[in-house]
Order: sequence, then C-alpha cells, then structure tokens
Amino acid sequence: MLRRVLSLPAGRIAVAILTVVALLAVLGPVLAPHDPLATSARTLAPGSGTHPLGTDYLGRDVLSRLLAGSRVSVLGSLEVALTALVVGVVPGILSVYLGRAFEWVTLRVVDTLVALPFLLFAVAVIALLGNGITQAMLVTGVLVSPLFYRVSRAATLTVARSQYVEAALIAGASVGWVVRRHVWVKVLPPIAVALAQTIGVGFVIVSSLTFLGIGVQPPEPTWGGLLASDLGYLSYQPWAPVAPALLIMATVWACNLLADAIRDVSGEAGRALVAHRRLRAGRRGRTEPAPTGGAS
Amino acid sequence: MPVPFASLRPAPSAPSARPPRRTRLAAVSAVLATAAAVTLTACGGGESAAGSGGDTLKWATSSFPAHWDPVVGGSGAQFRELALVYASLTRTDATGKAVPDLAESWHYNTAGDQVTFHLRSGLKFSDGTPLDAAAVKDAILRAKTQKDSALFGDLTSITSVDARGLDVIVHLGQVDYQIPQLLGERVLQVASPKAAADPKKLDRSPVGAGPFTVTQLVPGTKVLLKKNPDYWDAKDIHIDTVELTSAPDAATVVSGLQTGVYNFADIEPSQASAAKKAGLDVFVQPGFNAENISLNVNKAPFDDSRVVDAVRYAVNRQEFVDKLTFSYGQATDQPFPPGYVAYDPKSADLYPYNPAKSRQLLAAAGYKPGQIKLSLVIPAADPQAEIVQSQLAKVGITVTIKVDKNWATPFFAKDLTFSLYGTTGRDSAVQTLTAHFGPNGPLNLSTPYEPAGFEAAVAKVRRTRIDAPDYASVLQAATRAGLRSKALVFTYSAPNLFAKSKAISALPKNPGHIDWTGVTIGR
Repeated sequence: MLRRVLSLPAGRIAVAILTVVALLAVLGPVLAPHDPLATSARTLAPGSGTHPLGTDYLGRDVLSRLLAGSRVSVLGSLEVALTALVVGVVPGILSVYLGRAFEWVTLRVVDTLVALPFLLFAVAVIALLGNGITQAMLVTGVLVSPLFYRVSRAATLTVARSQYVEAALIAGASVGWVVRRHVWVKVLPPIAVALAQTIGVGFVIVSSLTFLGIGVQPPEPTWGGLLASDLGYLSYQPWAPVAPALLIMATVWACNLLADAIRDVSGEAGRALVAHRRLRAGRRGRTEPAPTGGAS
Repeated sequence: MPVPFASLRPAPSAPSARPPRRTRLAAVSAVLATAAAVTLTACGGGESAAGSGGDTLKWATSSFPAHWDPVVGGSGAQFRELALVYASLTRTDATGKAVPDLAESWHYNTAGDQVTFHLRSGLKFSDGTPLDAAAVKDAILRAKTQKDSALFGDLTSITSVDARGLDVIVHLGQVDYQIPQLLGERVLQVASPKAAADPKKLDRSPVGAGPFTVTQLVPGTKVLLKKNPDYWDAKDIHIDTVELTSAPDAATVVSGLQTGVYNFADIEPSQASAAKKAGLDVFVQPGFNAENISLNVNKAPFDDSRVVDAVRYAVNRQEFVDKLTFSYGQATDQPFPPGYVAYDPKSADLYPYNPAKSRQLLAAAGYKPGQIKLSLVIPAADPQAEIVQSQLAKVGITVTIKVDKNWATPFFAKDLTFSLYGTTGRDSAVQTLTAHFGPNGPLNLSTPYEPAGFEAAVAKVRRTRIDAPDYASVLQAATRAGLRSKALVFTYSAPNLFAKSKAISALPKNPGHIDWTGVTIGR
C-alpha cells in the first residue's frame, strides 16, 4: 500500500510532510534551541539569529515553543484517531453478523453520538474531569467513531452479500474465518482513508481546544495555544500567527492528501491506476528516449 | 475551527482511474488560504477615525455583570456597569472623597456612632415608586440579610437603620467615619423595594434610580438602556441611549471600536498601541487596582516565615509592569498604587528584588533548590502566573500552574495554599485593608491569621474623621500594620485602560469609577 501511495505525487508530498511532523513530535524538545519556558527581557522581539521566529510576550523563544509543542498535537490527534478506530470498526463489522438486536442497539448509539457536538462535549468532559488533553481526546475519539462504524459496516455488508462469501458459509466456513479471510481485506482500504482523515481532524480538534486554553496547563506550549496568544499582540507582531497557523494547516492538508492518495490507489481500480501509470511511463521511455550526448 | 463531522468523507466504493485531480485542488486551496491568512493577519491598524454612535453610548465591557441585583453582584469591578441603573447615597469626586448623590448631605452625631443621611426630595425609582428613607433602609437591610448577599461582610459596622421621611439614620456598633465612603456605588446601589421583593426577578430586570433605565436585557450578552428622565441629575446626563455589550476577545475589541460597533471599551494594555494607531482616544482612568500573590500561612511551606520572605525577595515587580501592562501600570508592594492616600511611603520597598537573598532564606529554612514544589491555582490562564512561575524557578521553587474553573470555591473557603488575586480597590480604604488583612477578610487566604496591631490601627482610622489633618497618617499607619501580614505579596497595579471614539468627551477622573455625568457624544 505504501509503495502505491508513494507512486503518486500527492502521496509523496503527504508522507514527506507527515514524516517531518512525526520527527518534530519525537525530537522537537531536543531540537529546540532554547528552553521553551525560559523568559527573558526581550519581549515581542522580531526574528533574529538567536531567535529565528522572534520571542513572545514573556520573552520566550517562539521556535523552541513551536518545536516543543509538536508532541501534544501529534499525540492528541493520534489518540483521537486510534480511539475512533477501535470503538468504531469492531462493532461496525460485528453489526452485520451478530443479529438484529445488536445491529439495532449499535445503530441507535451511533445516531446518538453523531448528534453530539464533539468540541462542546470535550469541553464539558474537561470541566467534569479536570483540565487534561488525554481525557478530552478519548471522548472526542468516541464521538468521531461513528465514521469508522459506518465505513466498516458498509464495506462488510457489501462483502457479506457477495456470492463467494455465501458459498464459503454454505461450505461450512465459520464467520470468524470469513471475516479474517474476506471481510477484513475489503474493509481495510476505506478504513485507512478514514484513519488518515481522522488524524487530520484530530489535529484540528487539538489545536482548537488548546487555542481555547483547554486541555493543557500553562505555560506548556502547543500550536493552538501559540496561535491564541499571538492574536493578542498582532499590533506588535502581525506575522507571529503565521508559523503556528502554517504548521497546523500543512499537517491537516497532508493528512487529507494522504487520505486521497490511499483512496486513489486502493482496490482493483487503484491497482489498475498504478499499472496504467507504469505502462504510460514505460511507453514514454521507449518512444521518447532521453537525449544523450550533445544536442544536435 | 474544527472540521464538522459531516465533512469527513466516506471512502468511495469505486476509485477513479483518472489522476487524482482533487489532490491538486486541495493543494491550490491550501496555498490560497495561507496567502489569505497572511494578508488578513497583516492588515492591522488603519488611519480611519472610529465611528461615532451619535447620542448612543456603545460600551463593550470585559466585566459584563453576571448579576443585576447589586446585593448579589457585590462590590467588584462590575459595579461600574450597574451604576448605569442604580444610584447610591454618595458618590466620589476626583479626589476619591464621598460627595452627595441621592443624599444631599449627612452628619454624624457627637459620639461618631450614628450618621444621618438627608435624601433629596422628589426622588423616585424608574418604576414610579418613591425613593425615600424607607427604601434606603430596605436596601441596607437586604444587603445585610439576603441569603445570597455578597455585601454583608462590608456592613458589619451597621447595627440598625431608622427611616424618618427623607432621613436615613444609620446606627453603628463602633465609631466609624468611613460610612459615607462605604455607602457609595460599590456597596449601596439602591434598588426599588417593590422590584427587590422578588430578588430573582430584580436580577433579570433591574430597577433603580440611576441615570439610565433598562429597556432590554439579554443575560451575559447585552443590555439596552435609555436615559432616565426622573434621575435627580438628569440635566447633566447627555447620553440618550446605551448599548452595553459583553466584550468579545480582547484582540477584536479595537476592531469593533474602529468600525463603530462600539464607541467605548476597556482594553488590554497590549491593544493600546493598535487603538492609538486606529485614531482612538486611549486613556487611563485613575483607580486603586492591586494584584497580589496570596499565600496560606496555615499550610506548609508558608508556615515558615523564611519561605514567605524568600518569595517576597524573589518577586521582580518591574517585570510584571513591563510585560503585562506595557508600562501603563506601576509596581506596588501594597494593596494600593503609589500616590493613593492610604499608600504608606514608609513601607515602600521593604522587600526589594533580591534573588540571592531569597535563595539564602530558603537554604536557611532547610530547603534545597527544587525541593519546594507548589501548585499555583488560578481561575483562568494568566500570563501573571507564568511570570510568578518563572521568577520563583530562579530561586529554586518549582511552581505548577493549575487552572481550576471552580477556583472561587476553594479560594474563598481558604483551602488553597498558593494563588493569585487582583482587586479593583474600594472607595473606603478601610474596606480594602480589612478585606486583605482582616481575620475574616475575603482576600486573606490565611484566615483567621491577622497581623499584630492591625485591628487597633484600623479602629483608629474608623475613629478619625476623613477631613481631619492626621487622617492620612493614621490611615497609612493602618496600612503599615497590615503589611506585616505574611499572607500577601503585592506585585503591581494594573491600569484602568480605556479606548473611546473621539466623539465622546472626556470622562470625569473619579478614581475607580466610570461617571457619565456631563459626558457628551458627537457634540
């Protein structure tokens, strides 16, 4: 799958950006040139050799705070996506096989979850359980899980009604074997697409909550928190929100690009697309050989 | 903004065999969005003059009242907004001294334990009911006895009230010449007894005898008011209508002023530069604001006075002034700003910034660097807390900031060890002192702790007439006694910073107040 995604330009761009973001999350605090919490007398200073992105209202190095803030955003968005994946996919597949009662209950639960505004709900949960990003993201993951439920259920229904699956069941295959052998393969690509999109949504949610000052305790740096604090000093540093905004936008955009790339290369049509591109590339190579030697 | 759930696109069942055009569209969209964001971000300031609201005051306030019953609202910063609706026995002049308002005069008995206020004749509330001594008595008693009153602690000197026509006779349990200062806009905004018969209704539909009457109130959001023709000083009110709005994010207030959505607003010091560039009048209204670090000496480690002193020496007040007030405020180590009558020059700079001495004191108390770990509990994210954290880190005290939306409950129950508080002050300096240093003062986190000699010093102030020649020295002696308290470390005085359209004339410089008397718009 990865090889096919990388065969597309969009896939390569997405993977490159997300790799950089992942590296920032792992190495950001180490790469930070200054202590992200250390204040100084040089407040709201413009970019310089010492502080490439300038300093904030308390004289802290903005670049260091951006780097240090990557981890919260990445871990939070992954938490949303993985929670949604686990909570949504398993009942989504099982709803096709475990009878009408289970199907009815899970569908009603999903309908209920869809009706809840997840940002407001996350704020309410934080108010109830205390200011922490982990619990907020877990709850948000549960609220986003209907997407995975529906995607996996739809794919499972398609497979479950196909003749070869019915033939397998008639021949004595167990439901578990059918799910492992036939269903999972068909369900995986749309889930991968949904997962990539949900990670992007997770970034937006983490950034939104931290923008509002929810989920993390000051002075811990976060992308959303940096953006929020910068807005109060626009008359001094009108450029300041650009860096955190660009990071958030680029990351979310990369997640969506990746989702599109996965969608385009998955399934039979995806394999056909890749084969077609290779074939075209091969023909170009034969009919339009690269010039060698000096031009005539 | 978060992506709506509906925008999560399900995977298509049959992927197209064509090149992924949508990815390119997404790329172009992202670049355009980035360019737009950068452009919009850079668009600050502007030379256009702020819009005028004619004879309408369009006031955006960051302290929109949560309650419109003055008894419930208490004497905090929102009294300025409630003063649009309610009048008081007294008001203050530019020197901060009580002058007539509903009461045209007052006099004390010889012993000083009884004061009689003489009301103006012909006063009435906006609901048509007469404003007489009985109504004032009702207001005082309600403040003392109503179950949800936030004022009863301020009225402990008053034992009983008699109403005789237009004379309100206030009996005191002790000699107290502060009463006219006390019964002003902060503590005794007089509501109609008829409306106050149902306090919950009054909280939603305020009825007073102030310069304006409410025509529409959307709780927590907006209030529309019109001039009250029955206000005793209506001839000096030149504003016809008021639109009082809860201010949006501080960063957008200046834009609102610039475009004429508002023509008056309190602003953050960080916005002053943008407001000036936008052609607005930016001014500092005098006041008594003072921020402090509250310590609980009943709990470790502040039960060791060396640790308290270490915190005092670790505080660099000028850093608060420079970084938080953009030099509009001033450093203070007392519950008042320097220059105020109660500010004690003899107590100034008792604990100058000296981190080395702070570290020595901690070492003497047996604490190694990093050994003291404290939770600084605050109600909302506040750069002030980050500065405290940073300054204490330099002397080896580790502070974790904890934002607790329910902060008020443990703070006023005196359960916290370490917190922050800011006061807008009171018209009676004694009220400010007792609130901070009194054994049951709401701002004394170390209740029932009281510095030695404070009670006697305050009693002496109460016994001293405000116009007595030694009043200032007696008052400052009380401040000095209070400052022996180990429970509070004062840091700086935040400015009362406002921006207004140039169409609005200058406001009276009544310290701590917003007085609309004589103010004109667009004339």
